[in-house]
Amino acid sequence: MSPRGRRAMSRACARLLPRVCAALADPRQPGSDDTCLEKMLDWFRELREAEPTVKLLRDNPCLTEFFTAVLALPEPEPNVLSFTLRLAGIVAAVEDSFMHLQQLELLARLFGEDGPLNSAAWEDASVRSGWVEGVHSMVQHQSALHFICSGGGIDVIFTLQGDPSLFVASAACRLLVHLLTLSVGSELTVPLNAKDCDWPACAHMIIRHIEESLQSNSASHIKQSLKLLTSLFGSCQAPWTKVLWLGMAKQVESFLTEDSVQAQHILADLLLNMARSPVFHDTEGSFWALVTSALEHLTPVQSSPLAVGILRLHRCPQVVRIKALTVLLQPMDCILRAAFQPLEYAGLLDESVSDPSAVESLLSSKSSCASLLCQTLAHLEELLSVVFLPVNLPYASLLRSVVTILQFCNGLLIPASPLGSKISQILVGCFRVQKSALDALAALSDRKCSDTVVGSLFDVLLAYLESPNTTPTVLKKSFKAMSKWLMSLPGMSFFKNQQQTEKTLQDVFLVLQKRLCSPCWEVRDSSLEFLTNLIRNLRDHDEFRQSLLSSEVPKLTENLLEDPESYVRASAVTAMGHLAFITYFFVPESPVAGNQYNKEKTVAKLQEILSTDPEGFPRRAVMNVFTMWLKESCTGQLEETEQFVSTVVQTTAHDLDWEVKLGCLELVQIFCNHMFCRFGLPECPYAPISSAVTSSICQNEPLQIFCRANLFSFLFRSLCDCDKPVGQKACDILLALKSHFCQSSTTDLQGPGDLSAGHGIHWLQGTLRQGSLVQNFPTDDGNGVDFQDPESMMLALRTIDLVELHNDLNKCSDYVEKSPQSLLEDILATVGTAEENEADCY
Amino acid sequence: MPEIKVTPLGAGQDVGRSCILVSIAGKNVMLDCGMHMGYNDDRRFPDFSYITQNGRLTDFLDCVIISHFHLDHCGALPYFSEMVGYDGPIYMTHPTKAICPILLEDYRKITVDKKGETNFFTSQMIKDCMKKVVAVHLHQTVQVDEELEIKAYYAGHVLGAAMFQIKVGCESVVYTGDYNMTPDRHLGAAWIDKCRPDLLITESTYATTIRDSKRCRERDFLKKVHETVERGGKVLIPVFALGRAQELCILLETFWERMNLKAPIYFSTGLTEKANHYYKLFITWTNQKIRKTFVQRNMFEFKHIKAFDRAFADNPGPMVVFATPGMLHAGQSLQIFRKWAGNEKNMVIMPGYCVQGTVGHKILSGQRKLEMEGRQILEVKMQVEYMSFSAHADAKGIMQLIRQAEPRNVLLVHGEAKKMEFLKQKIEQEFHVNCYMPANGETTTIFTNPSIPVDISLGLLKRETAIGLLPDAKKPKLMHGTLIMKDNSFRLVSPEQALKELGLAEHQLRFTCRVHIQDPRKEHETVLRVYNHLKGVLKDYSVQHLPDGSITVESILIQATAHSEDQGTKVLLVSWTYQVGILEDIHFNQF
Repeated sequence: MSPRGRRAMSRACARLLPRVCAALADPRQPGSDDTCLEKMLDWFRELREAEPTVKLLRDNPCLTEFFTAVLALPEPEPNVLSFTLRLAGIVAAVEDSFMHLQQLELLARLFGEDGPLNSAAWEDASVRSGWVEGVHSMVQHQSALHFICSGGGIDVIFTLQGDPSLFVASAACRLLVHLLTLSVGSELTVPLNAKDCDWPACAHMIIRHIEESLQSNSASHIKQSLKLLTSLFGSCQAPWTKVLWLGMAKQVESFLTEDSVQAQHILADLLLNMARSPVFHDTEGSFWALVTSALEHLTPVQSSPLAVGILRLHRCPQVVRIKALTVLLQPMDCILRAAFQPLEYAGLLDESVSDPSAVESLLSSKSSCASLLCQTLAHLEELLSVVFLPVNLPYASLLRSVVTILQFCNGLLIPASPLGSKISQILVGCFRVQKSALDALAALSDRKCSDTVVGSLFDVLLAYLESPNTTPTVLKKSFKAMSKWLMSLPGMSFFKNQQQTEKTLQDVFLVLQKRLCSPCWEVRDSSLEFLTNLIRNLRDHDEFRQSLLSSEVPKLTENLLEDPESYVRASAVTAMGHLAFITYFFVPESPVAGNQYNKEKTVAKLQEILSTDPEGFPRRAVMNVFTMWLKESCTGQLEETEQFVSTVVQTTAHDLDWEVKLGCLELVQIFCNHMFCRFGLPECPYAPISSAVTSSICQNEPLQIFCRANLFSFLFRSLCDCDKPVGQKACDILLALKSHFCQSSTTDLQGPGDLSAGHGIHWLQGTLRQGSLVQNFPTDDGNGVDFQDPESMMLALRTIDLVELHNDLNKCSDYVEKSPQSLLEDILATVGTAEENEADCY
Repeated sequence: MPEIKVTPLGAGQDVGRSCILVSIAGKNVMLDCGMHMGYNDDRRFPDFSYITQNGRLTDFLDCVIISHFHLDHCGALPYFSEMVGYDGPIYMTHPTKAICPILLEDYRKITVDKKGETNFFTSQMIKDCMKKVVAVHLHQTVQVDEELEIKAYYAGHVLGAAMFQIKVGCESVVYTGDYNMTPDRHLGAAWIDKCRPDLLITESTYATTIRDSKRCRERDFLKKVHETVERGGKVLIPVFALGRAQELCILLETFWERMNLKAPIYFSTGLTEKANHYYKLFITWTNQKIRKTFVQRNMFEFKHIKAFDRAFADNPGPMVVFATPGMLHAGQSLQIFRKWAGNEKNMVIMPGYCVQGTVGHKILSGQRKLEMEGRQILEVKMQVEYMSFSAHADAKGIMQLIRQAEPRNVLLVHGEAKKMEFLKQKIEQEFHVNCYMPANGETTTIFTNPSIPVDISLGLLKRETAIGLLPDAKKPKLMHGTLIMKDNSFRLVSPEQALKELGLAEHQLRFTCRVHIQDPRKEHETVLRVYNHLKGVLKDYSVQHLPDGSITVESILIQATAHSEDQGTKVLLVSWTYQVGILEDIHFNQF
């Protein structure tokens, strides 16, 4: 291993590489799978990190021979040529390797005018892409920079900015940014100032190109240069970017009002990237004046992304912030004013700061209303999710406007004003806006709002939950908003009195009852998820518990354990698991619990699902519920818990879904920790430390319990599971048990002893190492291992080298062989195979 | 001119992951959202950053359409909707919606099993994604929004596979997804009506292949299985949970019945059973034969094929086992393979594609000594067979579909560049339409000539018929009227009606033209001369010489004056009127 932790080329790979190169350069061979070529490049990138590439080239002359051979082909395969260019770029990234390739006169043939760029192969986008990527990899030093700038390569890149392939065009743009940054960064010795711009040669060429493009009449050239500047200011915050900008500011500013260029979106991106760069913050206010001008001149749709970006900035003049806030809030303000004439409450904006006519006309047009609102609502949601937002939003008015939009969308509000009436007509039944508004509403739940609007909020949400016109996706978002609002209010004291609280909760459960019976599985599932979420967060509130238990919801949830759709069964299992906390675990005095909620019945039902459900989701959900119960110590007294774990383990041992088994292993792990805690082993941080626990196997209570519960059988069998995560987890648990039970270190092994006649511990170890099938394990009814015998198990724990097994299991956790040697072998193996094999697709 | 733009992010000149962006009449649609199983990093998904450049995904894209449940067509969907952030509508057929999560879950399970896998979706994400899906029926026109509509057609290939027509106004695109023009054992042939789309985007996997009869391959498969079983060997068939497995099961079941064979056939996981459940549920999507015999016996209720238990792998004697996953890279299929690989009597049949690095890929490329888990060498003595059963249209089938749909343009995807090139020429020659084959990231633009419907007022029609012959479909007739563009519609009405509807007054414009002629005579003599001349040449018109000295020709007025500076030159003022309402300005503003 190299000092950086990267692996240099192994001898085996070095032996294989020449044949691989020869095969790749042989036009008679069928083209290699692109994924193989990509993986080879990944490997070479790692090699470049590990050793100086001139050594790589000298030690492996097949590489330069490969370049030569491919370049000599009259009609090389585009993917092979592209690979060659990219590989050459990776190799030439180190200066002495670059020199080596230059001495061999290969560079000009690869990346210069003698190369593919003047051949028919250039028509293929993958070759152009390979060239750009190759150059990008290569230009990491002055020599390469000089080679590209003086050899005409830079003009090729300028042209490729307008390439018909999106991939090539954007790669060319990134490359120019890289070249400019490298050129200025490495060649500039004297700091620049605006008046004396003595740019290094390469940078000068690029800057001149940008300037010329910006001054041209070509909209596409202007856009390319604006994109380049956007990318540059987004990635580089060096002081020289400011000098560069000052030379172009006037020109760029003119595009704000230039309709023929249609570059407003790019301009917004450009200004936002600049606003994020501290370099532009002290441009005597001219930059912020430009931002303000952009916020004024761009249409609301164009300026909104800029506005939201500005509002997230911590360093920004207050006047610009207010302008951005105006842009963002104007549609919402417009909604409020359209809905309530005269406005009864405070609006979102002071009318003096903005002219709402543009927004009003967008909102009253069918084609733009929904788009503008969706965008605004999404931006608001984004802002609301920012923890330390540097600006105070008028939350109450915002909430009112979002609620108003939701009322428009389901026809609950049809205002008299012409604009309001028009907007409500456009929005009624509009799912897109409904979804965005519900997301924004959910996000607003984290903010403090006045209670006047909260009442109408619940009315609107209930209307959505009840309406037959609500689509499953809108319903899911309504549930989310409802649960977030119910949870957000401390002590659920959002209503004036308890009666009102109870009434709302009753209404919620009433509508939930209906939704749990929906013919649409998505709705049943979302309803169950909603229920689970509510219980998880509100189970300590009396009103909540009482309203829930006096409804039909628990019964209906139980019925859904038999749902034909496995997703719904799984959600019902989870909901039942949480319901148990309310129905019997933590509420001994609950007046409504009574006998109808029977713990044993629920456990039996869940165990039945675990053993019989044909699908993984419900079984996994059962395991999660059992684990949750055990974590919260809800499974009863010790004997009960032991019996419970034992039954679960036996049921799960033969499950075909490895995630179910993994869940069971987690259960076992928690159980073991609980036992150690209970019996005072040091694993539990609160337990008294006892030193004499393992003195006698017979007195070792946890060991006895684990044997009785048949845990060892499950753990040892899991070691040999065909799904590796199961083996790994089992090994982890066994290692933990070993460290508990065997006080001596893992190296201090006792000699192997016979577990029983004919099957010594060597056999067991061997069986485990080979990963043989579980059936090779003898059963305890014959002469095999008695997994319930504490002595045998102690012996097994001491004797099996679990540490080594653990290392083995972790080492090869991936069955897809990723080693470079395997890759080279695979490429070679496909040489000469019939093409038929690779023609098939999935 | 209206245009349709197509940009493949995947499946452009390759058979990787399909993901094609279409812009049609201002609407943006993503066709398929596939995953490449050959990578274990972000390269497995299409590069969605090219869409996010256009602002928020959900604002930019109007909908996503998934053609069928194969992962190279739907594998990136949960990533796209739950991790990248697309929150808009997703459409697929009912069977695809039912089966898609099984395959996604299947793949997730073997992916997260591996170490170092990051940025991959969870089980919950798959569910959340599927809950956003709107399922569609065949031939049902689904209105995505007021302008955009989609319609599914049967595609064969796999259960639930569909071709989709995307229509905005009178412009339309058909995307075939993967399809099969010949029926197989459980599915029918693809079908589409003569919808004459502006563009047909078709797969071209077998662009240059005329495939040998599938019956031959099936016979070959049965022969190999039979021979192995007869000599007491075991046959392992690694499969993905759905698709190929069902086809091969029907094949073996029928053969076992006919030959009265006793060797057991097993499925290795519960997944395939669930798959069979869906094949039963969506029986209407299978072929006619299966549907007909359904009443007597459901073909997916297998008599000979039983669920597999791990213990069975060690049983002596012959057997056939279908085990997942299909590339022999994890789980049960690999475990059974390890047990059976050393015996030359046994056989493994690989019915599908295997990515580099998997055991499946290695044995298919002829490697017989495999290094397992870094140390042990597994010597593969069992026979290794590759049998392709993938159900794609061949060159003949593709041409047949084009003939059926009669598109104005064709665009090839999901194929290799060289083969596409060949097919492209063939299509252009035979159908005289443009054929395109963009690479990934390249945008193809197709210009369309939309026909715009115009309503004609009854009054205008009556007036026209009153003055002319009765309408005849074969003889187009010129009709005069005023075109009003109002409320996104066009109407042709009489000028009077237009004035009335728009509340406009009629204006008269008078045009005057000055003609200079050299005539030294007096003005009235010049007038007289002109009058006589006009009288002579315009015999059929009313030409009058008025007492004030002017001449009229119908409504045209002519006066003569002497030139102010040159008396030898006379200036004739020719003036005429034209009736017109000032409509243009106002109407276009309203539009």
